[in-house]
Amino acid sequence: MNLFKPFLLPDEREIIDSIEKNGAERKKGEECLFNRYAYFIKEGIHKFSLSYEDAFDLYSDTIISAIEKIINGSFQGRSSLKTWVYQIFHNKYVDLLRKKSTNKSSIHRTLSISDPLFQVADNSKTIIQQLVDKTDWTVLKQKLKEVGDNCRQMLMFWADGYSDKEIAVAMEYKTSDVVKTTRLRCLEKLKQLYHSS
Amino acid sequence: MENHTEYIDDYFAGNLNPEERKNFEKQMELDKNFAVEVAFYVAAKQALKEELVDEKKEWFRELASQNVTLSEKTESAPVRRIWVYRLAAAAVFVGIVFFSWSLFFQSSTTSPNELADKYINTNLENLGVTMGVLDSMQEALQLYNAKQYTKALQNFEQIIQRDTSNYTAKQHAGECSLMLGNYDKALSYFQQLGTYTLYSNPAIFYQALTLMKRNQPGDKEEARRLLKQVVDNDLDGKEPARDWLNKKW
Repeated sequence: MNLFKPFLLPDEREIIDSIEKNGAERKKGEECLFNRYAYFIKEGIHKFSLSYEDAFDLYSDTIISAIEKIINGSFQGRSSLKTWVYQIFHNKYVDLLRKKSTNKSSIHRTLSISDPLFQVADNSKTIIQQLVDKTDWTVLKQKLKEVGDNCRQMLMFWADGYSDKEIAVAMEYKTSDVVKTTRLRCLEKLKQLYHSS
Repeated sequence: MENHTEYIDDYFAGNLNPEERKNFEKQMELDKNFAVEVAFYVAAKQALKEELVDEKKEWFRELASQNVTLSEKTESAPVRRIWVYRLAAAAVFVGIVFFSWSLFFQSSTTSPNELADKYINTNLENLGVTMGVLDSMQEALQLYNAKQYTKALQNFEQIIQRDTSNYTAKQHAGECSLMLGNYDKALSYFQQLGTYTLYSNPAIFYQALTLMKRNQPGDKEEARRLLKQVVDNDLDGKEPARDWLNKKW
């Protein structure tokens, strides 16, 4: 609950509460959040002189980032939801400008706080990062399509931050233990498919 | 090859105790096959996330196409163009009047300390932590967010002692020192941070911020010089730096 976030309007609280839940509730919250500030796309076109595509991408990235922050608890509620989302939108615009002017995006992959590598101790991080950089992303993504619908859906839930318990509810499994076993088996299957290619 | 998927999953889920985490990290450094497995786990999650983002963007595109406000505004834009120019001309006129007024009649100044406080309250009171994972960096970040800056600083300094190249710990140690009002120490950490070539490095901006807080003779001028450097070189903190340079202080 967001009762202790005094700057939030009641309907903003509702959106955040929905996103913090899972399944259909969360999807509804995400949809409300997207629609609520969709006019930022127009602002992107007029204020920042962006094409519709660029403004849409900027806004989509903003909403995806906002959802991630709400879920991992980084949204502190020290301003209204609109102010906060606009701040992210503006920061993304600055990033876009920087990328366009320096082409840095093609060299560096930025590390998000929710990235698994963020948790790895510095000594090992370099080793793992070097190995990750060798990944053939096209093949890996192709193999994701071959693991089967059930596996893919379960792995997508997992990557979206759902716990095994929440996946059990969403996919109607009996227990979270069963989900964990199935999920790890799916990962194994993906690994075999990838290495056999 | 031995199957370690569950062990790896437990590590990233934060289910291992500190001793087990340490062993895990050692194994990553010593056992190449194990490191390859860990890298695959990380890459798989990254690929899945990218797929998720693509799916979400597709869904957003559908939502945008159904959004009435968005399509209305897009269609009516060309018709209003002449009004846009008139409005822009009016805005420029009002802007000039306001600018002249503020230049000649407005003598109020802002204190650098107030500007710095406002920035610190908004941006530095809470640093991002990773949920469910508790290594020494995360512990220190949690102490920081709980406003236990002295303890957090001790922890960050221990991390630096163990790994002198850890620039993240140096940045956080500087932030702790700033929050504790130990500006000389904060400056020293931010100067050290400035020696690293990073994609994103707020070192210069943080040095200016610290000088604005310290506010000793000459600090104001040096802070303005650093802020100008941030703006001119498109460094981290460019937006607030430009904003502050436009103010009288």
